[in-house]
Formats: sequence, structure tokens, C-alpha cells
Amino acid sequence: MAGSQDLGSRGLITILFLLCLTCPVTDVNAQAGEKPLRIFGYFQNTFQHQTESQDRFIDGVFVDNWDNSENSFTAQQLNLFFQKDIDPKWRAFVNFEFLNNFSSSRQQGNASLEEAWIRYRANSTFNLKLGLLLPTFNNLNEIKNRTPLLPYIIRPLIYETAFREFIAVEDYTPQRAFVQAYGFLPAGTLNLDYAAYLGNSPNVRTLEQEGQSGTDSTDTFLVGARLGIRYGELKTGVSVTRENDNQLDGAFDNPDLRQLAFLTSGRDPGNASASRFREVPRTRLGFDLSYYWHGLSVEAETVSFKVQNESELDIERSFYYATIGYEVTDEIFIYGSYWKTDDKTELFDLDLATADFKIPTVGFSYRVNDRILLKAQYASGDLEGTEVRVNAAGTEAALFRATNKFNFFATAVSVRF
Amino acid sequence: MKLLLPTIILMLFQAGPGFSQVAVIANKSVPLDSLKKVELINIYTGDIREWGNGAAVLVKDLKPKGPTKKAFYKFIGKSSSRMKSIWLKKLLSGEGDPPEALESEEVMINSVANSPGAIGFVSQSKLTPNVKTLLVIDE
Repeated sequence: MAGSQDLGSRGLITILFLLCLTCPVTDVNAQAGEKPLRIFGYFQNTFQHQTESQDRFIDGVFVDNWDNSENSFTAQQLNLFFQKDIDPKWRAFVNFEFLNNFSSSRQQGNASLEEAWIRYRANSTFNLKLGLLLPTFNNLNEIKNRTPLLPYIIRPLIYETAFREFIAVEDYTPQRAFVQAYGFLPAGTLNLDYAAYLGNSPNVRTLEQEGQSGTDSTDTFLVGARLGIRYGELKTGVSVTRENDNQLDGAFDNPDLRQLAFLTSGRDPGNASASRFREVPRTRLGFDLSYYWHGLSVEAETVSFKVQNESELDIERSFYYATIGYEVTDEIFIYGSYWKTDDKTELFDLDLATADFKIPTVGFSYRVNDRILLKAQYASGDLEGTEVRVNAAGTEAALFRATNKFNFFATAVSVRF
Repeated sequence: MKLLLPTIILMLFQAGPGFSQVAVIANKSVPLDSLKKVELINIYTGDIREWGNGAAVLVKDLKPKGPTKKAFYKFIGKSSSRMKSIWLKKLLSGEGDPPEALESEEVMINSVANSPGAIGFVSQSKLTPNVKTLLVIDE
């Protein structure tokens, strides 16, 4: 089980089941203007074949390698939406998400409450969402988990939760916010889009003395916005967020890291206090572009992420993706895409860790009907990571390097209900 | 026999515009008498969902892929699959519902005439006085 909002219990299933059972009678108490509760959603099942190999080096000398091959059927994702129009201006929306064969009894998979918001719609120029929501950032962030909309089985790197072990996916894009105003302003043949949101800084740090499990005890906010322009089928925008990071708070409590800092920089971290890397400012800057012309579509995004605390800590992450697709017929869509991440952590001007991911991929989707989408995808990727560590004796720093290569083939069926 | 060729030419000339002229129609409660192309696109892509008086826009679509639907979609610059994709995105984001897809132009006219705030499209030759015309598409 992973994720801060896991609801991993049989209680969740029971509640959902009861909600489904009570749905048909919900309009017994409906007021004028209310519509019945709507329940809908989708799921995606996959078959994946994956091969992976890794070579490891220390200070440039080969150490060992391994390779691995996997075949797997998976219920990759199921999303269940509950939507209620309270009146023409107000809509409530809840999104439960289940990942990877979720089972509470076997302690595997993941179930989470992804969205629970109420929206006030004044008009197309002003909408206000209140509650747990997926904030607008670039093109994909809001719809990254809507599998029927995406031709991909593995999504572009930072949007693929399965890569969480390799990539700090939560860092690249804002994962959740709690207030968002958005809309668009028509200006002749242009539409000017805007979205502005507020949430928590991303660290759930339950303080022992507070002891309220599951609440975010950070006292700083995430602030973000996207400004965009649409002209016909050309759509582009700039996104930005600002928040504070506590993830490396207390990093120098680790004796190896203290020794490493001393060995590599000659600087003693000193009497590092727990607050040394508390509330370090971090920013994201994103740019998105998409265009559609007679069945040909182009989509591209960049994300730049930075955490900086004077000269002591500097984390820089960047992501690029571009996809070119073509609708061969109303049913068949083919695409090629390229994804890349660069990740670098500097401590006292030392390159403490780096990670570079490159994946070219191709695939196609076939729309059987409005509700069933078949997908196939092939990807071949390289991951190279380095990390400086102190040797066993604690007297020298050594550069550990690993290179991974993998090939991935998957088929999937995405069903909307 | 001498009249046959001119008659055929005349029929073709008349039939041409009859098939290709599409009228964008609305319920008589709609507080507009005309519509710009960009407004029509914003309505059919689900970006505009209220008329000027605040009443909800009810978008209607045609199921059959006939010349009327083809001409209308061509005018707004979208393919059928592109429109489905746009509406699916609205639906799955909790932002809107796909338009009701109707079986024929006759059903479209009746549905628009009887649904306050409704907008649809039919070939101009099918127009009846119980709906208002907001735009005529000449293709």
C-alpha cells in the first residue's frame, strides 16, 4: 500500500457498495433543480511484457549486473465517479481510484480518494472548485489518470505512477489542491484560459505532539496558476507553482551524509539542526503546446522543477515530452512519442545524485465503440543514475553509477461504464 | 428531349445548395438572433454552457453521418472522432455532459423546438417555423 490518502480497508468497499445500492433512490429527496446522483467510471486491464537489465559501476569500475523478464496481466486502474448536480450552478464530484489489482486482504494495490470537490459555475469566465482536486498544470496533469482519453498504456514518465520508485513523480507536477478558480475569456477569435489554485505544500508530516493521522501539518501553502491561449485547435500555456519543501529536513542527521559533505567539500555541516532544510522554497515552471489539424495531432510539454536553499542544497529536475499522432480513421489512432527527464541533486556544490531517463515509444489505439478502447504500446528506455556515497570505512567518497535498459510491450483494454 | 439537359442542369443547381446549406437552429427561448462561428464552436466544444440570460445551453447532435452533419462538422473544423474526444474529456473531468445525439433531422427539429435553451443543426430545406435560425452555413 502506498500513498498518503490510502483508504486500504474493507470499509471503503462496503461504503462504495452501499452508495451504489442507494443510488437509484437518491432523488426521492431531490429538491427542485436537483438531478439524480450519477455513477460512472472506467477501468483499464493490461497485459505487459517487460525485460530489464542493469550494470553497476563504482568509480568507473564494473561491479555487477543483472537482468530480468516479466509477463503480467493486471487490472491497472479502476476509477469510480459520483456526480451530483445540486442545482444548475453547483456540482459535486467524487473520484475513487483503485490501482494494480487493489486488495486490502492481500495488502497490495492502492485505493485512494483522488477528488472530492464542489464546483460553483457562475459562467464560462468564472468557476470555483472547492475541495480535494487535481490542479491545472500544463496539458496532462488534470487528465493523467483518465485512461479512456489517453492512447498510452504507460503514460509520459512524470504522469506514470508506476515509475514512482525511479522518478519523483510527485515533485514534477502538483498532485492536489483545495481551491481553484478557472475559466476563459473570449477575445475575438482567441480564448484566454486561466486557472489559479491554492493547496498545501506537499509534505504530510504528522507531528507527534499533534497526532492527527492523515492531516497535513505543514503550515505553508502551494500556490499555482496556468495562463493559456487557444486559437482554433492551437492551444498553449504557461504554468507555475510555488511551495515549500520539508523533505530534506534533518538530512544532516544522517551521519553518512554529514561525513560525505565533509569529505567532498571540506565543509563541516556543523551542528545541523532539524530546521536546516525546513520550508525550502521550491518552484515549478511548465510550458505546454498542442495542435490538431485534419487528424494530425501534436502535443508537447516541458516542466522545470527547482528546490534551492542558498549554497547548500540545489535540486533541479526537468521533463520534456512530445507526441505526434494521427487519426488513420475515426477508430484508429497511431502515435510516436519521446520522453526525457533530467534530475540532479547538489549538496554543498557536490553532484550528490543524478538520474536521466529517456524513452522513445510508439503505439496505437482502436476504438471499438464509444465505450471500449483497445491499446498497444512498445517502449524502449534507458535510465542512468549516479550517486556519491561514503565507503564502508567512512574515509572516502565513491561514485556509484547504474545504467538500466528496458523494453516494454503492453496491450490494454480501457472500458468506460 | 431538348428540355432534358437544361432541366437536369437546373435540378442539379437547385439540389446543390439545398443539400449543402445547413441552418443552426435554436429554441425560441434562446435570447439571441444570430451567432458567430467562434461562439458556435465554443458552444459545441462545451466551453460556453449558458446563454446571455443565464439559462443552460442544451446542445443537440445528429447520429447519422449524413451530408448535414458532415457540413456542420466541417464548418466548425472538427472531425467526428475529435468531437467525441473533446466531449469525453469534459465528461471525465466532471465539466460537462456530451450532447444528445438524435436519430434524424426531424427529431432534431422537434427536440430543439420543445427544449428551452436547445441548439442544433439541420439542413435548411427541413426548417420549420417552430425554431429560430441563428446561423446559415454555406458550403
